[in-house]
Amino acid sequence: MTTANNSSRGAVVAGLLIAAAMTGLLTIAPYRAAAKGDDFGAAVKLIEQFYNVKHQSLPFLARAGMSATKTVMRMSGGQRKRIAEMGSVKVAFFEDQDFSSRGRIGAFKSSINGALANTWSPLVQTVAAKEEAQTYIYLREANAKFQVLVITIERREAVVVQAMINPQTLALLMQNPDEMGRVITNDATTNDND
Amino acid sequence: MKSIFKTSLKFASVALVLLLGIAASAQTQGGKIELTQLDQLAAKASQSVDVNLDERLMRLTLPFLSSKDPDNAKIREVVTGLKGIYVRSFEFEQEGQYSAADIEGIRAQLRNPAWNRIVNVNSKKEGSIEVYLMTVGARIEGLAVLATDPKEVTVVNIIGPVDLEKLSQLEGQFGIPELGIESKTKTKN
Repeated sequence: MTTANNSSRGAVVAGLLIAAAMTGLLTIAPYRAAAKGDDFGAAVKLIEQFYNVKHQSLPFLARAGMSATKTVMRMSGGQRKRIAEMGSVKVAFFEDQDFSSRGRIGAFKSSINGALANTWSPLVQTVAAKEEAQTYIYLREANAKFQVLVITIERREAVVVQAMINPQTLALLMQNPDEMGRVITNDATTNDND
Repeated sequence: MKSIFKTSLKFASVALVLLLGIAASAQTQGGKIELTQLDQLAAKASQSVDVNLDERLMRLTLPFLSSKDPDNAKIREVVTGLKGIYVRSFEFEQEGQYSAADIEGIRAQLRNPAWNRIVNVNSKKEGSIEVYLMTVGARIEGLAVLATDPKEVTVVNIIGPVDLEKLSQLEGQFGIPELGIESKTKTKN
């Protein structure tokens, strides 16, 4: 009898431990762990397909140079600081092409969110339908840093930027999310010498 | 041995369902309001803004705000302990492009007895602003601001122990628009 009681008590305890562990795994998921696959490429492709446009990558040497002499920004009126981590930047440009959504800007928003939802967290999204202007900023954790994916679309051009930023920089940028997309995109696409 | 394993699994399944239920209900409570129903307004709006700062992101980044910079130190003080800031804002080109029905889902949530309206200011010129507070005992669990005028709808949901005295310091920060809550509250009083 005692053995039976002990066994069933053991079973209950074991059951609770398994349940607790599973709940922990399910509810304490990281802030979108770094994904497998190339979401940057997926975002670029989606823009190309939706708007029937073609992107231009920065030439390899220009990109390498940009990584080495990364642009710096004046943030919060304080010291000049780098935003993106050196060598972490991916950029795709779409220049002088037609980004008219013909009233389907909401469909694009749904598509891009659907494509990135599993591996990125949406931080800021602004859409101005009349101006055909859109900015999407997504984040995900990457070790002790954050990867940020910024998609900026205007009537005649678009830029997709992916970069690694540290939590200190992100904390500063988060104070002004409206400007965040512009600041990161400028950082990734402007040379110090400009 | 087999039977212990089977019984363990049975208990594990039941306990898991219960624990997940508790976790899910805790997630829907705690000062967070469901904002996704506002997404439909984006199609009618001339401009829409969504900002989502969740607890983990805030916890991982905001401690890095320098305490040496007085402005940052103030902000850090205000946001410490917050579990999320969510903003949805829509601007319309013309009056009448949204209706009361579009924001009824938000109002319905705020009619829950857990929420108390602490500010309600209506002005023909400046529109209306309502501030709701969710408290459990003396603890503030969350705050919701619903600001409307004929051409604009803004909903701000701050989760966690908001210091009402310092709420105005968050305006213009973290995507929260300048709503003039403090001045409107004073006008009301």
